[in-house]
Amino acid sequence: MELTISRLSNVPVLNIVGEIDHGNAPTVGATIDELIEQKQRTILLDLSQVDYMDSGGISVLLSALRRLREGGWLGVINPNANVRRLLQIVGLALDASFRVFDSVEDAQAAVQTHARP
Amino acid sequence: MTACLDATGRGCFTRTAIIDGGSSCLKTVRTFVEEAASAAGLRQDRAFDLKVAASEACANALEHGGNAGSCLQVSAAGFEDRLEFEVADGGAFRLPHAVDHMQRAHRGLGLPLMVALTDEVRISRPAEGGTRVTLIMYADRPPQAPLT
Repeated sequence: MELTISRLSNVPVLNIVGEIDHGNAPTVGATIDELIEQKQRTILLDLSQVDYMDSGGISVLLSALRRLREGGWLGVINPNANVRRLLQIVGLALDASFRVFDSVEDAQAAVQTHARP
Repeated sequence: MTACLDATGRGCFTRTAIIDGGSSCLKTVRTFVEEAASAAGLRQDRAFDLKVAASEACANALEHGGNAGSCLQVSAAGFEDRLEFEVADGGAFRLPHAVDHMQRAHRGLGLPLMVALTDEVRISRPAEGGTRVTLIMYADRPPQAPLT
């Protein structure tokens, strides 16, 4: 897994390439924790190049969501069909503070027009 | 497990692997499942689900089975109508909430995910001790429908 951070209208975007599993999910979690420590209330993860995620990754998303829910939100960009289905099965996709975007453009529009959903 | 042979021979096999419990263990499990799913002719989305479920079963086995750093034995058997994946470990099965308290938050997702993503989950205590988890995917079933 490779992880880089970019920005979309001042909102941090974690660009992840590869597979997120129990082994490397803590790295993603630590990066998100750091951003939250820096008072970021909205965080995006670009999952367009993630072809696999297990409950290690789901746990990281749930932890982040719990911390961001008050006053912020968590978004993922373009997860593949299987990852998207997994997000739905565990109920993440139903959470009002969790957003799934089809494209970077959609995410950009959301961060520009709303501070929160 | 004994696999049968259908008329074409496709999808009927058994294979076993001893997987080193090191840091790349789950990656090796995924590759093992991917190859078995492909040999069994499982659909790509169903193969993904089995990979996630098998990964949960193996992560559990490594955590509670006294297997940390040692080896896991996994096997896959293709039948005419289904693929079975099995992982055995030397420890007692622990309830998700107990694991949750001892490990980290949300760790208790493992068992519910195995149930949600596969068609049948068997957890048994073999005579020789330990715990055996079997995950079964039937060939003709669709993937779990997401909640809407």
